[in-house]
Amino acid sequence: MDKRFVCPRAEIPANGMIQCETGDGLKLLVANAGDDYFAYQAMCPHQEVPLCEGLYDGAVLTCHQHLWQWDIRTGAPLGLAEQALESFPVEVEGDSLYVVAQSALNAAELFVGISDATLAAITALAQKEERAAGSVCYDLGDPADDFYVLESGRVEFLLGRDGRSSPAGFMLRKGEVFGWAALLDNQPRRIARATCLEASLLLRINGKRTLELLEHDSASGYIVMRRLSSLIARYVASSGSK
Amino acid sequence: MRIELNARNRAFHFEADPCERILYAGLAAGINLPYECGSGTCGTCKARLVKGEIDDLWPEAAGRKYLKQAGEFLMCQCVARNDCSVEVAGFVNDMDPGACTPVFRTGTIIDTSMLTHDVLGLSVALTEPIDFDAGQFFTMQVPGVPGYRGYSMVNFERATRRFDFVVKKKPGGGASEWLFKGGAKGARVELFGPLGSATFYPDLSKNILCIAGGSGIAGMMSILARARQERYFDQFNGHVFFGVRAYRDGFYLAELSQLAREFPDRLRVTIALSDEAVPAQAREEYPALGFEHGFVHEVAARTMEGKYHNVRAYLAGPPPAVDASIRMLLLQAKLPADHIRYDKFS
Repeated sequence: MDKRFVCPRAEIPANGMIQCETGDGLKLLVANAGDDYFAYQAMCPHQEVPLCEGLYDGAVLTCHQHLWQWDIRTGAPLGLAEQALESFPVEVEGDSLYVVAQSALNAAELFVGISDATLAAITALAQKEERAAGSVCYDLGDPADDFYVLESGRVEFLLGRDGRSSPAGFMLRKGEVFGWAALLDNQPRRIARATCLEASLLLRINGKRTLELLEHDSASGYIVMRRLSSLIARYVASSGSK
Repeated sequence: MRIELNARNRAFHFEADPCERILYAGLAAGINLPYECGSGTCGTCKARLVKGEIDDLWPEAAGRKYLKQAGEFLMCQCVARNDCSVEVAGFVNDMDPGACTPVFRTGTIIDTSMLTHDVLGLSVALTEPIDFDAGQFFTMQVPGVPGYRGYSMVNFERATRRFDFVVKKKPGGGASEWLFKGGAKGARVELFGPLGSATFYPDLSKNILCIAGGSGIAGMMSILARARQERYFDQFNGHVFFGVRAYRDGFYLAELSQLAREFPDRLRVTIALSDEAVPAQAREEYPALGFEHGFVHEVAARTMEGKYHNVRAYLAGPPPAVDASIRMLLLQAKLPADHIRYDKFS
């Protein structure tokens, strides 16, 4: 697995944070909390403000721009935040910190906090799909058997047909989940067309078999269903007041 | 021009006139597009042009420093030359049904008065009545100075035909210099709004804490005006902290003193002087107000200790003062982030 040097451990203040860059240009926010180290995307997922300019008290990270907050141990959103942070597992070796690559499934907000065994079982269901720019993942009316997790690239959605179509959003972050009809009852068909706007790497996972796994681990199933409902609400609901 | 705007979660379609800023056209259509200042400085309304052509009305706008990728532009400074397709990287929704949808208005400056040696009070009469929420602002364009600047309303009435604004003297600031040089009375101005989400509604049912620096007191006055009309301080506490450099920089002190006398049990108003010890004259002239020496966030921190139960905080003023207050409230007072409201537009 690919492993990248981040910085010497001594550079991170106790219960503090700094921005680092790996040799190949990956920018990271690196934080210390007690004996542990955590690495996340360097920029706020809201409006690309550097998170290192925010506030951090050793437990909660706050972006100073609009006060989005995250749990430093999981990257899970707190308070006003509408999205999790992409996390990068940190390994400590002597005085050095390294990050190791992880699959999109580990980065997916939908699965943050579920048991390792169930995540491993879902990972075993996942098929990697490499798709060229312009390729259609699914079209209106297709059976909705599988859901997708974005590893890299960009996918756009289109509603309607015969020239009377309208864009309906897009996905560009590692770990974003789409085609979630496969995880819902009574939603057997696709209601939009999903197209890769650039060369994209996807994980394709069977919905029914995922639900079976979650039924056997109902604690994880509960987490996934809660996250799925807030994910869907984010796409359909009004934002409310700030 | 037809604008197709694709956000992360869905698309929107709206019309924009040839000289209408894309942000303003979208907001006027009831779409809650991302913005903060609406006047080219904050970069929050950046979008990417996918198809069509636009003209940038202010290529030197400070907010352009936030643009990174090719095709990105500020919606508040650009107009469409033809039908355009644009993309916004965040989630966008319709405005809440109860929100005051922003509109264009024209007005006439009917009064100006010096509130201090470098702060001007400005009153604008509107040709048509308008609703706004306490704490909101309008952007205004004055004759001969291109571009809009944001000003919070001081007053509060439903269906108002008048706005009172506060303007701080800014050397080199086009609109500020034009207003200060005199002769503004009678001038016709262009307005767009209401904007901003640091709003107060009486059904909040929380104690309110206002921390304002300088001209940031404007929006707080509107919040206090509404609270007074609804007798809000019969039931809830109000703590107002108003920071200025020295006693001579204070304004609205008579109005604040009057409010403090009307609600002696529940409303406390403290003036923080950052650059001088409190002169005896201050306490003699306004015995109903508190005066303290220090930065406004420090004075607020000292006074508020142990009083954060069921509190909503409103912050306004120069960005460093707002940032210092945010830091204090989150880290020291441990106030949850969703109990803090502010708009950074100065």
